[in-house]
Amino acid sequence: MEATPFTGLVGVQAFPFLGRQVAPSDCSADTLMQPCPSEVFVFAVSRTVVVLSVAALSLTGCAAGSGGTPTPTPTPAASAIDNCGVSVPITSPPQRVVTIKSTSTEMLLALGLGDRIVGTAFQDGPVPARWSADAASLPVLADKVPSQEVVLSATPDFVYAGWESNFSADGAGTRSDLAALGIRSYVSPSACKEAAYQPSKLSFSDIDAEINQVAEIFSVDDSTLLANQHATLAGVAKDTRGLSALWFSSGSSVPYIGAGIGAPQLILDTIGVRNIAGDIKDTWAPYNWESVIAANPDVIVLVDASWSTKEKKIKVLEDNPATAKLDAVKNHRYLVVPFAASEAGVRTVDAAEDLAQQLKAQTFG
Amino acid sequence: MLWFIVLSVVLITSVTVAVTIGPATITAPDVWGSIVHHLGLGANPLSPLRDSIVWELRLPRVLTAGAVGAGLAISGVVMQAITRNPLADPYLLGLSSGASLGAVAVLLLGSALLLPVAAFLGAALALALTLLLAGMFGRITPSRTVLAGIAVSALAAAITSLIIFWTVTGDSYREILGWLLGSLAGARWPEAGIACSAILVAGIPIMFSGRTLDAFAFGDTSAATLGVNVQRTRWIMLTVTALLTGAMVSVSGSIGFVGLVLPHAVRLIVGPRHRLLLPLSALVGASFLIWADTAARTFFDPRELPVGIVTAIIGAPVFAVLLARRVRS
Repeated sequence: MEATPFTGLVGVQAFPFLGRQVAPSDCSADTLMQPCPSEVFVFAVSRTVVVLSVAALSLTGCAAGSGGTPTPTPTPAASAIDNCGVSVPITSPPQRVVTIKSTSTEMLLALGLGDRIVGTAFQDGPVPARWSADAASLPVLADKVPSQEVVLSATPDFVYAGWESNFSADGAGTRSDLAALGIRSYVSPSACKEAAYQPSKLSFSDIDAEINQVAEIFSVDDSTLLANQHATLAGVAKDTRGLSALWFSSGSSVPYIGAGIGAPQLILDTIGVRNIAGDIKDTWAPYNWESVIAANPDVIVLVDASWSTKEKKIKVLEDNPATAKLDAVKNHRYLVVPFAASEAGVRTVDAAEDLAQQLKAQTFG
Repeated sequence: MLWFIVLSVVLITSVTVAVTIGPATITAPDVWGSIVHHLGLGANPLSPLRDSIVWELRLPRVLTAGAVGAGLAISGVVMQAITRNPLADPYLLGLSSGASLGAVAVLLLGSALLLPVAAFLGAALALALTLLLAGMFGRITPSRTVLAGIAVSALAAAITSLIIFWTVTGDSYREILGWLLGSLAGARWPEAGIACSAILVAGIPIMFSGRTLDAFAFGDTSAATLGVNVQRTRWIMLTVTALLTGAMVSVSGSIGFVGLVLPHAVRLIVGPRHRLLLPLSALVGASFLIWADTAARTFFDPRELPVGIVTAIIGAPVFAVLLARRVRS
């Protein structure tokens, strides 16, 4: 009998990219594995291990995200903020800030703090025209998540990220590592993935609370920004036609959609449209086309991102013979939202205003 | 023969029941009514939109699952026989890594090729490289082939990682992850066509090679004395199996454990004779994957799991039990 000397290795396939290298998105709001298992390393050496590890993550993911308590609102007298479970001391206002993702950059620009930014990374798209002059001069550290060295080379005293997962050993550095170097870190509270910190259902008061916190940390006045936010919001009229929508974030064979407790739901609620996936207790979630077809939404919100453009999404919808029969696809009833405005932040009110106007222009026979 | 009839009935029942299960609530009579209508008989009981759920999504997916399951099980049997390695699976010779590389090239680098075509080319290229490596220093032996396959797998996986690492943006990696884990979510009629054609073109001929595979079980020398041209037969069997696997990987990604575990399970029931083992493994593989995929698309409704997770969760413990029984006996 001829035996192979390495039978134990047979079938072993290394897929190291399933590990932390893809940290930019592997535990973001926008991911297959819903929670942010920053401590979980999926350095899989075999397909088997990959499959089982990912299975484990998916299962824990289904448990996380539901329930939980609203983000604790800060008390003005607090000397530290509890931010996704990490204490952020309120000491002297940060002077040198690295921002990761568009939501953090835009929050600072909106508060007039653009001059404190010493570097941006992982921007999801261009900033709105009203800030483009301020944004033009901002140094870009990385197109994706910067490595810790890149972050440190900008000598920041504060790192402000849109996603918890941006703070990882092979990303911008863990929050405790940064703290040890005297660098404070902060994550948009609406992106906290722990059940105790994730808003059980995002509301505009959660976004106001983030504005308050950031203003407190930087010791600036946020009353103008808040007033503008509230004024924009007050101008958004709820649609009264009883329409339903699919929030199509990405994907083709498995659609990734805006679910029931995040920014997509908040925006759809604001414009008076029912989310067909509104009963899923998650921010974003993988969905299935069968349920989309059964729901036959009146309109489809297309998230326009550089890596998944609105044109690509329309092609996905039209190429699939089943979704091509949807009323919204047949009649081109699409609403478009830029990706950077689709995550919770200062542009959420703008997204609501914009989508409400697009919706108004849609006629239904 | 009895087993053959029983398992055929199980397969037909699986198809007819599985199409009635899904996130959208459509009654079983309506589902069958719609299918019967498309076969040219009777009026369609469903609206065009709901009909498309049955005819454009569920039925092609169930048929693809059946064909892929059968193909993987057959490939597993052949690989285990040809390499005389009980741990062999259809992806042994770099096929899944090669196919993944092809798929990632399409999904991320935006190549103009269709995904199944690219995945198939990747698998074929990986196989050619494996056989070239294995044959470079003399005769192609099972152990050399397996080792060459490991080297090619590692290389293809590394290049895949590199491409993903450099190009992945936003959440585009999620689609790739689903594909790498094995998923039938994208299966429509073209995919069902590819998978079923592969069964007809490559799977059926393999079914008739039972006697040759039996000879291989006794070793190269014995096979030669039984009148088998060992080298040539090994080349042919490996290539045909690779074509079969490549076609399956191209429509479903690499679904683990089906090709590894099912042949062992069927062998326990009907013994090691390939004339029975091949068709019965195909039938069991088809039914198994249909149900695994039905679970994948309904257990976490309205979300769905990549089916590779389901096959691994079921397959790993089953494999452990089979191993334990082997050790005891």
